[in-house]
Amino acid sequence: MINVQGLTKRFGSFTAVDDVSFEVREGETFALLGPNGSGKSTILKCIAGLIKPTSGEITVRGIDTCKRPQEARKALSFLPQRVGFHDCLTAREVLEFYCRLRKLPASRIEDVVHGSEFNFNGFSDKRVSELSGGMRQKLGLAVACLADAPVLLLDEPTVSLDPAGAIAFRKFLKTLKDNGKTIVFTSHVLADVEMLADRVAVLVDGKLTALVTREELRMQIADNRRSLEEIYLDYAKTA
Amino acid sequence: MELSTILPIARQELTVAIRNKWTTIFALVFGSLVLAISYFGTMTAGEIGFQGFNRTTASLLSLVLYLIPLVALMMGTQSFLRNEGEDEMLFSQPVSRSEILAGKLLGLFAAMTTATFIGFGIGGIVIATQTDAEGFLGYPAFVMLSLILSLVFLSLSMLAAIASRRRTKAFGIALLLWFFFVILYDLLVLGGSLLLKERSANYFIFASLFGNPVDIVRVAGLLSMKGGEVFGAAGAALLKFLGGYGQAIGALIVGLLVWTVAPILVSFRLLRDQDI
Repeated sequence: MINVQGLTKRFGSFTAVDDVSFEVREGETFALLGPNGSGKSTILKCIAGLIKPTSGEITVRGIDTCKRPQEARKALSFLPQRVGFHDCLTAREVLEFYCRLRKLPASRIEDVVHGSEFNFNGFSDKRVSELSGGMRQKLGLAVACLADAPVLLLDEPTVSLDPAGAIAFRKFLKTLKDNGKTIVFTSHVLADVEMLADRVAVLVDGKLTALVTREELRMQIADNRRSLEEIYLDYAKTA
Repeated sequence: MELSTILPIARQELTVAIRNKWTTIFALVFGSLVLAISYFGTMTAGEIGFQGFNRTTASLLSLVLYLIPLVALMMGTQSFLRNEGEDEMLFSQPVSRSEILAGKLLGLFAAMTTATFIGFGIGGIVIATQTDAEGFLGYPAFVMLSLILSLVFLSLSMLAAIASRRRTKAFGIALLLWFFFVILYDLLVLGGSLLLKERSANYFIFASLFGNPVDIVRVAGLLSMKGGEVFGAAGAALLKFLGGYGQAIGALIVGLLVWTVAPILVSFRLLRDQDI
């Protein structure tokens, strides 16, 4: 579904991503795990076509994201870490805008506004400036889900959510996963990774230091009687 | 580029401009200016009262050449500057970057057009009811030129915002552009012409007209309102230089077109290679 080969991104003399390669299979939930500055958001933005790789190749459903970016982006939806919308628009207007941009039927908005996953009832007509951080994140996720794209790219999706919001969000991601969506998300919240990811790419200083399945991670936790945090730090040290 | 992609972006930009009160503020400013200039324009001659379109339009033209570039540059720079979360969401949609820029530009131009029509329109109606209709035809031409001037400076604001990327730098460049075109350019041209012989100096001044969209609009405005005779001997020489009245108007329109399109194309090119 997504193929990343030899991806390198430099910002001036700083190498943010260094020769990273991995593949994400159809229907898989794939986590990019790493501390701040490890390059995980840069990789996600490269896949979304927001950042141009210095070298390497990325394909989504066989379509090169650099050569045919618009076509590649039809297959994916991206949720940035800091979601932003015009403050003076209402939640419904934001949804309507993205609906028109993606040329989706207007009925999609009603599906999202009244759907159980989002439950925008009561505040779909509130302006963005009146929404809490969590609600804005929810609106961002609703926009990302509007197109029903097969691939979802989520950058630190639970960072601005309160505990209840994070739990609800994880539950929602599980539903999407069960519906066959391919999900790639970045996180430094190990709970997200442990609960959601089928496979985990561990990144340190822009380099891919480990690529493990959730089962392998769980076995390491069980066998060594260590926490996920300790195992992650081990990976970081070996980088 | 697809119109079906550009239009929703333009519509949103227009909605935001209206909700943020920009359009209302500019409409009020434009309307007040028209009425004030028309009413108090002859105060120095000891008279107060509405004057006709001819005098009002000529006075307004001078003022608009200062005001419209500044308004368009500020409004445009604010809109074309990056807003991290918003842009990441927008630019990750299956639309091209040039479609996004074109949509924003169209929306901002629609907002400026609305403000201009409301402001100058209300002012024009008041003048029409208070005075005779002499010189009325010059007034719509003046409004159209104001709109073209706003489009040129919206394009320049796009370039300033995309080339600089940082807020303070972008607004700094926008203000510098305004200062250069509205104030400094003519001084430089006059200074430069002093270094040349008379014949060369004339050609230099005529050619330099196309290096400044504000000057193009000024000359086009005066030509459209009063014809070539308004400039006297210098105007006759200018018209001769440009090949006659019709050709002069054509050349000025082409000049403004280039000043609109060139910054847009450079902005498209710059943004194509930028990271969001």
